[in-house]
Amino acid sequence: MSDQSNVKFRLNNSELWGGLIGLALGGFVIWSGLKLKLGTINDPGSGYVLFYTGILMCLFAVSIIIAALTEGGPTFGSRWQNTRWTKPVIVIACLTAFSFALNPLGFLLSSIPLMLLLLRLIDPVRWQLAIPIAVLVPLGMWWILKRLLLIQLPSGIFEIG
Amino acid sequence: MDTLINVAHGFGVALQPVNLIYCFIGVFIGTLVGVLPGIGPISAMSLLLPITLSGTPESGIIMMAGIYYGSMYGGSTTSILVNIPGEAASVVTCIDGHQMAKQGRAGPALGIAAFGSFIAGTFALIALMLVAPKLASVAIAFGPAEYFSLMVLGLVVLTFLTQGSMAKALLMACIGIVLGLIGLDSITAQPRLTFGRVELIDGIGLVPVVMGLFGVAEVLLNTEQVIKRDVINARITHLLPSRADWKASAGPMSRGTIMGFFLGILPGGGAVVASFGSYALEKRLSKTPERFGNGAIEGVAGPEAANNAAAGGAFIPLMTLGIPPNVVMALLLGAFVIHGLQPGPLMITQNPGLFWGIVASMYIGNLMLLVLNLPMIGMWVQLLKLPYNILFPLIILFTIIGVYCSSNNVFDVYVMIAFGIIGYFMRKLGYEPAPLVLAFVLGPMLENNLRKSLILSQGNLMTFIERPISAACLALAVVLLVGPLLPALRKKREMVALDEGA
Repeated sequence: MSDQSNVKFRLNNSELWGGLIGLALGGFVIWSGLKLKLGTINDPGSGYVLFYTGILMCLFAVSIIIAALTEGGPTFGSRWQNTRWTKPVIVIACLTAFSFALNPLGFLLSSIPLMLLLLRLIDPVRWQLAIPIAVLVPLGMWWILKRLLLIQLPSGIFEIG
Repeated sequence: MDTLINVAHGFGVALQPVNLIYCFIGVFIGTLVGVLPGIGPISAMSLLLPITLSGTPESGIIMMAGIYYGSMYGGSTTSILVNIPGEAASVVTCIDGHQMAKQGRAGPALGIAAFGSFIAGTFALIALMLVAPKLASVAIAFGPAEYFSLMVLGLVVLTFLTQGSMAKALLMACIGIVLGLIGLDSITAQPRLTFGRVELIDGIGLVPVVMGLFGVAEVLLNTEQVIKRDVINARITHLLPSRADWKASAGPMSRGTIMGFFLGILPGGGAVVASFGSYALEKRLSKTPERFGNGAIEGVAGPEAANNAAAGGAFIPLMTLGIPPNVVMALLLGAFVIHGLQPGPLMITQNPGLFWGIVASMYIGNLMLLVLNLPMIGMWVQLLKLPYNILFPLIILFTIIGVYCSSNNVFDVYVMIAFGIIGYFMRKLGYEPAPLVLAFVLGPMLENNLRKSLILSQGNLMTFIERPISAACLALAVVLLVGPLLPALRKKREMVALDEGA
């Protein structure tokens, strides 16, 4: 009991925020279920399962929140402690940029820079090796897909590929 | 006699040159991903799911199955030589396997792991051949209520066995169900949660979700750490275990095989739980338990046999009931669905070539694995030295291409990247993706069966209780849900709860 009373309420408790996100999602699912119509128990409607799943989500999220408030939990900072957190951030940034570039630039013009960036930024591969890999691998994949498997990858506004 | 005729028919399918090639590709890639730490069978199968589209259903599924049981073999090599589990089911093998390698007995450790895996795999296949048709004939009598309750049980067992908080695992399962319901309602054709996007009318694809959650997220997690490997450099000799090694391993192998097979059949169970269970059992039965952890060959033979037998057993619920017992089988179900096939009680009678072909290919695959893992061990040891800074960008490129090829749609690439980022944060905050994926696959079936049973019973909820199989499944699910509230059961759960995603 005394252990529980010693637990401090911290706003950067990651468990608490995880639970709150779950609760918000659950609320949204309940609302979506209601909007889609529940129907009756004899003839369940499109929103029937969504509605009850949303209720379950809220219940589980509330139990996570209660556990976070009574037992505490790790902070966001501690989750990334002693890790190279900048590396995943770089990969996420590269992937986001790639997703914006894929349609307008096409597969080849967007994947070659993506590969080069990943090869140089995760754990730098020397340029002499990184450039050939970044160029040859997407080019080889594009050739196999287009010529052998007859799959057309996006060619973008410049129609390259 | 019928079984023998069917097996002969299956070998006829499996021995077709194209199927032999797919089988070899499957077991080769399986061993490869098993050997490489950080990439598990789930990531590899999700990466290769789109490739199954290019061939016949038999070829695609033979390859996917090969990846699964191949990874069980390959995982032991890394555990023994590097002390890093190649995949989750080989965690236990590290304990005694690496100790044996340090004592200069890497050869016998690798040998007994390969032979144990082969013997267990063979047993599981024979049992699969005998049990599956019988179970399928019983399963024909299953109605929507039984299917609904079985799926609920499968989801609850998986959440029970998932690492960390059960509330989190259950929340993930609910999110998976919701994601699975996106798109047109199969009964009323009303669009659900599509937000006006035409791309979502058919729902979210399994391939981008799984590739994002397991492929991209896995790379993001791995880039955080500097992966150091301490590979045993000594030459590996004496791969054939001695008479004394065989004598010590015979019992653990037999027990591991039987235990693994039954744990594999159970919904939510699988290779990981089986290997841990076998290790605990052998330690308890041993007259000299103090040798465990210091290079006891029983600690390698038992768990390796158990995880391979479980991999074979896991095919039973999928093939006979159409219900995947774990995430790997959910992916295999995805491969069936991509080809317009529905595994279940009628598949064995309606599509015997497919069923018996897959079973026979698994036997051939086991033989291929024995060759791949013993005489060619040196090649895998070299592969352990492949730099990760080159491997990770390649994996990302392959996931992008794989997702695009599965649907010819850039939208799916966006979905994969989004799920990759979500999956990374989920794992960082302690939310496992395995229940989400299984629920995502089961969600539409679960809803369909629930609504059908309610319509058929005119809204009588007692239909789930009055039918014995349904009632038993639901009762077990309730026990597992309430169980963790009891301190003794909570402790037991923490002992067996494992990371299925690795």
